[in-house]
Amino acid sequence: MRSGSQATDGDIVRAVLAGDRERYAQLVERYRDRYARYATRMLGSVDAAEDAVQDAFVRAYDQLAQCKEPDKFVGWFFLILRNRCFAERRRNRTSASLEAANGVAAVDRSDGGAETAEQRRALQLALLGLTPDQREVFVLKHVEGLSYSEIAERLSTSVPSLKMRMHRAYDKLREQLRDHT
Amino acid sequence: MSGHEFHPLVKQLLDGDITLADLPAELRAEGEEALRLLAGVERTDVTMPAVTWRVMAALERRRRRFLPWLLAPALAAAAVLVLWLRPGSPPPSAPVVTVRFVLVAPEARQVSLAGTFNQWDSHATPLVRTGPTGVWTATLTLPAGQHQYAFVVDGVRWVPDPGAPAVDDGFGRRNSVLTL
Amino acid sequence: MIALLAIPLTVLSMQQAADSAIAQRLAGRVPPQIASLVEDLGTAAAAHGLPIDPLIQKAIEGSAKGVPPDRVATALRVIAMHLDTAATALRDGGLPSDTLAIAAGEFAISAGLSGSDITALARTGANAAALTVGLRVAGTLAALGVPPAEDIGLVSVELRAGEPASSLLLLPADVQAEMAKGATAAQAAAGLARAAAAQARHGPPPGRGQGHPPPPHPPHPPAPAPHP
Repeated sequence: MRSGSQATDGDIVRAVLAGDRERYAQLVERYRDRYARYATRMLGSVDAAEDAVQDAFVRAYDQLAQCKEPDKFVGWFFLILRNRCFAERRRNRTSASLEAANGVAAVDRSDGGAETAEQRRALQLALLGLTPDQREVFVLKHVEGLSYSEIAERLSTSVPSLKMRMHRAYDKLREQLRDHT
Repeated sequence: MSGHEFHPLVKQLLDGDITLADLPAELRAEGEEALRLLAGVERTDVTMPAVTWRVMAALERRRRRFLPWLLAPALAAAAVLVLWLRPGSPPPSAPVVTVRFVLVAPEARQVSLAGTFNQWDSHATPLVRTGPTGVWTATLTLPAGQHQYAFVVDGVRWVPDPGAPAVDDGFGRRNSVLTL
Repeated sequence: MIALLAIPLTVLSMQQAADSAIAQRLAGRVPPQIASLVEDLGTAAAAHGLPIDPLIQKAIEGSAKGVPPDRVATALRVIAMHLDTAATALRDGGLPSDTLAIAAGEFAISAGLSGSDITALARTGANAAALTVGLRVAGTLAALGVPPAEDIGLVSVELRAGEPASSLLLLPADVQAEMAKGATAAQAAAGLARAAAAQARHGPPPGRGQGHPPPPHPPHPPAPAPHP
């Protein structure tokens, strides 16, 4: 199944479009974890994130013929996942706070302890109180570690506009965290 | 400007453009508050190994739904034949037993039950926390027979029932046994 | 049935039909390479009169637990082997092929019992239904830590005495109760076997009876539990 050099994303996309359905699994395998964390922090729960990532890959398969630059599959896929995450938030407002607690790593980790876990839970909950746009810029910068320029390129927007979103997010988070202590 | 907004310099601190030392003394406390906020960011990697085959299975299922209609009657006949020829499965008239599952886990945020009776689905059967002492319970009605199960704590830790007989699950963990 | 067989299955063979019955139970629950392995093992098992349920259950379990496919595959092959061992052991004990009993035997083996333990239970002469319960209980006792000798000793006494399933199913709880009082699993099982053997000879002790009059002669000291 594996040859000496790895196939590019473009090669795989073209192969799938030509009828080699099974090779799509290679793309899934390659990228399913790359945005798993993003989806988890956006949706507040690993389960919801898994559903979203799964749906996004199925949708990407359906629309594969519309992927204009097969070699840039991952960026195109990210937008599909992003849409799916934004749509999910509109659907599931009420269950969000319950799930938020579940989306945070288990308490028994060697670093930190009960207080850190509590901080994490509180922040994830507060994140869910932001608009999806605000939450996204926060997650991309502070969880995924991207720079404002990188985020701007990915979302096709400007750095000043992102900073404005982010700074509103900081204020809202402060408000949410104060209200809940 | 309401009292909830961070000072613009503190926002630069949050953006990583300046450090705490760069802040004037009167903003130090606010800066520290801001950094505490960031300390709550959960950055652990998330992996989703199940997604690969689930995606392929979903695609496969959709493909099968479009089988030509000609095949459908033949498929139905074949299925009936298999049922006829399968050796002695007893009719499903089995008696049922009500079983109460209990786990003491004060630190847990959620506990569920997964086993042969619910396809090992860790989402299907949540336990309910009764009171502050961390006692989680669920009551199920199960058919008589052999069952294996485990508790799933916080969605990630598979824990056998401390009060029940245990067998090797074949994967390096233990399953609890319930013989009804 | 002959009439049904006359229907031309030009599109699907029977084997493919059996395979799709397995495939249906696994659909959406296991990765394709595991589904394929279960179908192969299941088809072979069914052809030998072995139950396929233990294979399907273990495949679903492994996938739900996020176990890597190659480990699931290993576990499945082990189960297939156990099913074979159990079937042979039951045949040696005089029991014709019964899929539920074989599945129960597989469980007993996974709990630590051997083919000869299964044969010993089969040789008590119990019918398939009783033996199935007996094997499940024997496996459960092994899972509690009862060593094979005491385990088979206790269950065979109960089977020979023709005890109903409800009584057999209480044995693990009885053993646990004795262990809670400080007995080891072995001691608990041996003690229960002695009591069971005495009961078989003399009727139930006072307070646990079904209303029978006490025996006319003074009770004998209990005989040691029979060992296979």
